Amino acid sequence: MTVRTRYFVIVSLLVIFVGLGTGLVAYYVGFPTSAFFTRNGPEELRFLPSSASVIAYADVREVMASELRQRFRKSLAPEAQENGQHEFQNLTGINIETDIERVVGCFDATASGSAGMGAGVVLARGTFDNVKIEALMREHGAKVEDYKGKRLIVADRFSPPFPVPDGNDSTPTPRVPPQNPETFSLAFIEPGLVALGSTTLVQHAIDLHVGGGESAATNEELVSHVKALEGGNVWALGRMDVLRARAKLPDIVANQLPPITWFSVRGRINGGFQALLSAEARDDESAKNLRDVVRGFLALAKLQTSSKPEFQRFVESLELSGTGRTVALSLDVPSQVFDLLGAAAAPQLARPQQ
Amino acid sequence: MNASLLRPALRVFDFSLGQMLWSRRSVLLGLLVGVPVVLAAVVRLFAASNQLPVINGAGLTGPTLFGILIWMLFVRFIVPVLGVFYGTSLIADEVDDKTITYLFTRPVRRSAVLLGKYLAYLACVVLLVLPSVVVVYFLVVPIGGHIGESFPSLAADLGMLAIGLAAYGALFAFVGARLKRPLITGLVFAFGWETTVLLIPGYLKRLSVAYYLQALVPHAMPQDSTINVLLQAFQDQPSVLVSLIYLFIIVGVSLWLAGRAVETREYVLEQ
Repeated sequence: MTVRTRYFVIVSLLVIFVGLGTGLVAYYVGFPTSAFFTRNGPEELRFLPSSASVIAYADVREVMASELRQRFRKSLAPEAQENGQHEFQNLTGINIETDIERVVGCFDATASGSAGMGAGVVLARGTFDNVKIEALMREHGAKVEDYKGKRLIVADRFSPPFPVPDGNDSTPTPRVPPQNPETFSLAFIEPGLVALGSTTLVQHAIDLHVGGGESAATNEELVSHVKALEGGNVWALGRMDVLRARAKLPDIVANQLPPITWFSVRGRINGGFQALLSAEARDDESAKNLRDVVRGFLALAKLQTSSKPEFQRFVESLELSGTGRTVALSLDVPSQVFDLLGAAAAPQLARPQQ
Repeated sequence: MNASLLRPALRVFDFSLGQMLWSRRSVLLGLLVGVPVVLAAVVRLFAASNQLPVINGAGLTGPTLFGILIWMLFVRFIVPVLGVFYGTSLIADEVDDKTITYLFTRPVRRSAVLLGKYLAYLACVVLLVLPSVVVVYFLVVPIGGHIGESFPSLAADLGMLAIGLAAYGALFAFVGARLKRPLITGLVFAFGWETTVLLIPGYLKRLSVAYYLQALVPHAMPQDSTINVLLQAFQDQPSVLVSLIYLFIIVGVSLWLAGRAVETREYVLEQ
């Protein structure tokens, strides 16, 4: 065997074995899709309560940089968007475009929130001006407390920091304190990670950060559902049965709702928008019935949109699937559909209000 | 396999491997295995700024595309082409170059020469095709997929391609050793017979290599329609174990027949 042949054999074998080795490591250990995303979901799950009823995630940086978002930015009231962002930045010191990497939020229907309706918390990862944020919150009446060594900025009640316009009336809406006020808090859990939301859940996030314990990341059922959502840059999942039980709906309404236990939405925003809406029914029979209902709605939608090309392509992208207890509806909307929808909506937006 | 066959076969393998790798035929081989890599690189670049198209209503992802490339390019084209061109030339090239006499006058069994050349063919094509598949995998699968999750299919594909190359090579080595114009027969078999019988219902498809290789391919075209699901459910496909047994039988029997043909046939060199 000549030297040239020997080198060739070595290089070929090296490519094969390095490839197989890398694949094998990835198979057993798993390669994180980002530095903060493990195979069990985003790292922030460790700071969310294990009893969370709804969890949502958004890779803000990816979404902001997506082609779809850039198209929206150019086509739909760009000046208003710019102004809104500047206003937000002046108030909080946060530039949504560049400062926030991703957000993970949760709603816990069992937590003590306002009027017993549960509570929520959002964990945002990014680059934040702590001093400016704290100063701005204090300007709006917030107090700074110490909670397990962390600075907890507590606002007495949840109130928007600036007046909310009420329809055509330019006068600010008077702030009416809720009957059971739930305090709103913000805390810098660790460098680059801020928790904001209900004080109860922000304190719980600090508890979990300081002492560990049962969290969303240790809830195996929840984590198994989160794993299935990997690959999307926005997603949400929740327990429909818990939400329904807490919603105290009238029997006549509750009986009409499909018996869904888990629901999830996984979306990918890039050049277009791909999404997969999944629901896990109580049993196979319920799932079959739900599939039949959705199939019926799809057929109706296709019939209704046959003469409207801007909606037709969107409806055609809807695909129903699922086996056993699962019902899934996927949609794949190319950016051209948004252009068509924007063009269809433009005359209505341009029309002066009566 | 006794030492009198294996030792000279390894000697023949040693010098034949270099001969095969740096021959003009290897340019064709390089082009063949380079095309999927270039294609995968283009797809990767395209996917960086666009979304992959939808086929049969189902979104195309990296792992699905990898499956399509493996099935359409490697299994159905590259592997049979390599088998035909290299397999049929193992002995035929020596006859055409009138150098077969030098090999057959050596104090070794003729079948050892064939075996050594077959092993050289196998090493040559495996060392070129498998790295190409690995590169394609790492270029394509991360598009909407995960390297780790799809790894079992990569391992299965590499094994399947190696067995496919061995089976086609052995079969066409026999054709090359037995027939006078082996290339035409090989091409007709690979792209005429094999393609046709797979479409004909009944047992005829069992007389093809592709039928058994197909059962080892863990990929499918993206599909979501009920008809496609039903077609797949009713598709006559042997189990993996049965396919492996038949493929090893094809390799063994073909090599044995090729060895016998080389031992008994009188090669007349044209002046």
